[in-house]
Amino acid sequence: MWSELRDLTDAIDVGTPPRSGESISLSVDGQTVRVPRGSSVMLAAAKAGRNIPKLCATDTLEPFGSCRLCLVEIEGARGYPASCTTLVAEGMSVRTESEALTRIRKGVLELYLSDFPAGDVADGWSEFHQALQQVGITSHPYAPLTSHQAVAVDESNPYFLFDPAKCIVCSRCVRACEEIQGTFALTIDGRGFGSKVAAGQDQPFFESDCVSCGACVQTCPTQALVEKSLFPEGYHRG
Amino acid sequence: MNMLRDALPAGPGEDPVLAIDRLLSMANQIGDFFAPYPSQRRAEGIRNHLRTYWDPRMREALLAYIDAGAGGLSPHVVEGARLLRSSEPRKGYYGPPKA
Amino acid sequence: MANPIKPDRSVVTTCAYCGVGCNFKAETHQGRIVRMTPWKDGKANHGHSCIKGRFAFDYYNHADRIRKPMIRDSISEVWHEVTWEQAFDFAAQRFRRIQSRYGRQAIGGVSSSRCTNEEIFLTQKLVRAVFGNNNIDNCARICHSPTQFGLSATVGWGAASQHFDSILQADVIMVVGANPTEGHPVFGSLLKRRVRQGAKLIVLDPRQTETVRSPHVRADVHLALRPGTNVAVLDSIAHVVVREKLYNEAFVRERCEWEEFEHWAELVGSDRYAPEAIGPVAGLDPADIRRAARLYASGPNSAIYYGLGVTEHSQGSTGVMCLGNLSLACGMLGREGVGVNPLRGQGNVQGGSCLGSWPHVFSGYRFVTDDEVRGSFEAEWGVALDAEPGLRLPNMFDAALTGHFRGMFIMGEDPVQSDPNQGHTIAAMSEMECVVVQDLFLNETARYAHVFLPGSSSLEKDGTFTGAERRVNRVRKVVEPLAGLQDWEIVVGLMNAMGYKCHYDHAGQILDEIARLSPAYRGLSFELLDRVGSAQWPCDEHAPEGTEVLHRERFPRANGRGTFMLTEYVPTRERVTDQHPLLLTTGRILSQYNVGTQTRRTANSRWHSEDILEISAEDAAARGIKDGDMAWLSSRFGATQLRARISQRVNPGTVYTTFHHAETRVNVVTSDLSDWATNCPEYKVTAVEVALVKPAGFDEYGRSLDRHAGLAAPDLSTATTASHPGRQEVHA
Repeated sequence: MWSELRDLTDAIDVGTPPRSGESISLSVDGQTVRVPRGSSVMLAAAKAGRNIPKLCATDTLEPFGSCRLCLVEIEGARGYPASCTTLVAEGMSVRTESEALTRIRKGVLELYLSDFPAGDVADGWSEFHQALQQVGITSHPYAPLTSHQAVAVDESNPYFLFDPAKCIVCSRCVRACEEIQGTFALTIDGRGFGSKVAAGQDQPFFESDCVSCGACVQTCPTQALVEKSLFPEGYHRG
Repeated sequence: MNMLRDALPAGPGEDPVLAIDRLLSMANQIGDFFAPYPSQRRAEGIRNHLRTYWDPRMREALLAYIDAGAGGLSPHVVEGARLLRSSEPRKGYYGPPKA
Repeated sequence: MANPIKPDRSVVTTCAYCGVGCNFKAETHQGRIVRMTPWKDGKANHGHSCIKGRFAFDYYNHADRIRKPMIRDSISEVWHEVTWEQAFDFAAQRFRRIQSRYGRQAIGGVSSSRCTNEEIFLTQKLVRAVFGNNNIDNCARICHSPTQFGLSATVGWGAASQHFDSILQADVIMVVGANPTEGHPVFGSLLKRRVRQGAKLIVLDPRQTETVRSPHVRADVHLALRPGTNVAVLDSIAHVVVREKLYNEAFVRERCEWEEFEHWAELVGSDRYAPEAIGPVAGLDPADIRRAARLYASGPNSAIYYGLGVTEHSQGSTGVMCLGNLSLACGMLGREGVGVNPLRGQGNVQGGSCLGSWPHVFSGYRFVTDDEVRGSFEAEWGVALDAEPGLRLPNMFDAALTGHFRGMFIMGEDPVQSDPNQGHTIAAMSEMECVVVQDLFLNETARYAHVFLPGSSSLEKDGTFTGAERRVNRVRKVVEPLAGLQDWEIVVGLMNAMGYKCHYDHAGQILDEIARLSPAYRGLSFELLDRVGSAQWPCDEHAPEGTEVLHRERFPRANGRGTFMLTEYVPTRERVTDQHPLLLTTGRILSQYNVGTQTRRTANSRWHSEDILEISAEDAAARGIKDGDMAWLSSRFGATQLRARISQRVNPGTVYTTFHHAETRVNVVTSDLSDWATNCPEYKVTAVEVALVKPAGFDEYGRSLDRHAGLAAPDLSTATTASHPGRQEVHA
């Protein structure tokens, strides 16, 4: 618990909370790096300067593993484990880039893009947009039958709004409200494609238990939760 | 620079700087705190508190009241306040021992 | 616009609101502040924030902001706008005239806990070096002055012994008279995090606050004691510790004065403090008192966090001493995870305390009566200084009513709204000949002012704040001051106008002067803070980057040992009567800050647009009051009307409200009783009655007629809060 907060820095988001403990050595893309036991592979990669694309992971929250973007290849392990939920082990050898990984990441992002306001893709600067640039995606090949693009924007809170059309249900907001703030005002309602972020008993934010601390806004990677002050002419979904 | 201070007179009229019942109430409260202490520490504690924390005009008003009969004032407080007089020529520091 | 605008510049600064001292990046777009983003490197907040610091910054740009200095000959006239020079000269002449007529002691000043360390330091320099007396006080008088008194007496320094993160190593957390979830939200979240991890929680509070019970967090012991019985209950807890031999003898022998411990143990160990005796007095189950005591003493790491529920009582200082005694007896000091921590409310109230904004001490809590210390200040400032303690703020008002105190410089404070017994405060203010108010907006106190100096918000100036964990943080200018001068520049202007030549190129030089004169701040400078972000005092040669945990090796007292003070329970003089059978206690709410001058001018008012009276179902039913009714709250001092809400959080016999809205005038009801040592007002205990019908014996302002007979009614014609919708008084 001790390092989780004290080692945080604005300069870099290492993906999962820093830990303290016995030092472990592993190799990431051929580079040797030492991190405390209990650290994630994602954190080790960040320390080695290898920036693995991520969306649901952030170093102020415990790892969750929902976005499927941060997959890596680990020697001796099957498949493509998520680097945020995989802990380091002594002598582990990790590969963060490969054709297969690129293909998978593109696939994941194309799916997210297929349910995102088309007019807000260009000129965006959220973490989601940065991930798109990092992986090299600007469009998607789908003609989706269903989407969330017609769901209303919740502008009940005077300071921030929630646009479900941009939400990728990464759950960072729910986790922030639990782990950081401790108010537990948010949940994920529903299942599968129907999952959505709900405040209180599926109420507008202002009427729920939300205390407007801004932790969810701070952590949302797609700016589905975003400050109203950044829209001087009002919010118009693109 | 010293002239700024010396040029100004030190104080006005004869009536007390605070209403007397306020002073009595404050003084008695101080006495209540020091009550459980043995008598010499109690008296000195009260004296030190008044000396360190009370504006000199408030102290004078209290002493004047004691001289005039001290009705309504607890005996501890009278004893402690009187110590102010006996140490008055000694100016300076009456606070807790310095760290 | 489809996508949000992207800020083009960001300045790391510190929040203007509470004592947590969160660091934010103030982000601007084309020169306008568009958002405040929490800074992950902030050592107090680690990237978290609350509704106030994060979102409620618009007040700085509000239409009510005064942008030009104003003066008037008397308070019944309208204001005239003038230049800075004219305003300074007017004030200077008036102050000097008062002094020549009524004496050097007839004027004084109050500094603001919302202003920077540099500004507070200059205000006390203004009073000491320029006015020539020690009539300088700080709003800590009315909140945490007992902390300074009580903790200095027992452990040596009146400040939090730990940094906030230390709570993550605590096994038992005892919260006394504080509600961190509302008053120090970011710290409250950290506390809840630790409790969810398994730490035990003890809460002493008459109400069942959010801190007692919230999702996944529940106090193991909640002592819902009767307002006014703090010392009795804390002594009773101490009784159990002593009688059941739960104290840490090795620690006491090694680090404390053993003889004093024995005297104290004898006092609290006596039968009159047994839980069976105190339980009925405080309205508690004796078994709960025992449980709390055993839990705290067993630790292994037990930490105390306390607030105004301890200090704002007639035995406030005694209550703080009880906490000091308890933590010393159980050995809960000098390492991580333990400590005695006052939760300082305002952003820089700790700074105000440290920098000697008090009538009896200079910076570093060193007495004005001490010739050596005074000499060092005289040498630096070039004038002889007054060797006697001055008047405290409440006594300044008392002295105004007897004609001995006639002029006041008030910076960033609103005593008329925040001080108790409002009728008394107003009467005193009306008597003065020169009141100079330096603030952002026209507040309640400005109604009685002759000079208004438009100040600068914390977004418009450079300086430092000292938060509740002794952390000195940089405040950085993000935009230019709207009225043209930073607050510290205004004080310098007034000093020069009064004949004391002084000049600073920038605020950093003031911090350098503070460092020269205050041992605990000796190593601080803007350069250091730019390099390491922030530093907790003491910061000197032994601790060049500050000190996280105090008292590791010795206590800052003459012999290096902690001591025990005798804390006999003296019930407050405030008693319930047939006429006033309920006890009122006051507090704060998350979205509004203090008297609401800033937050009422933001959208935060949507959450708390009026002060609410919380009353138990039983008490409401007995009075025919339904949920949502407008009710009259009255004491023997005053009466006011506010909306009642039935609440399960208060026990029968106790009612509760907040003081954020000027229109509510809660302080017209609060009493004139105060702490024995510091005059900190007893806000937390007032005998009241609640009724649907307006009681007789009060004037239109709500003041009791027999207390305030013959006094002028205040002028309510000009609104001070343009943005408030305006309450209508309801006649039953």
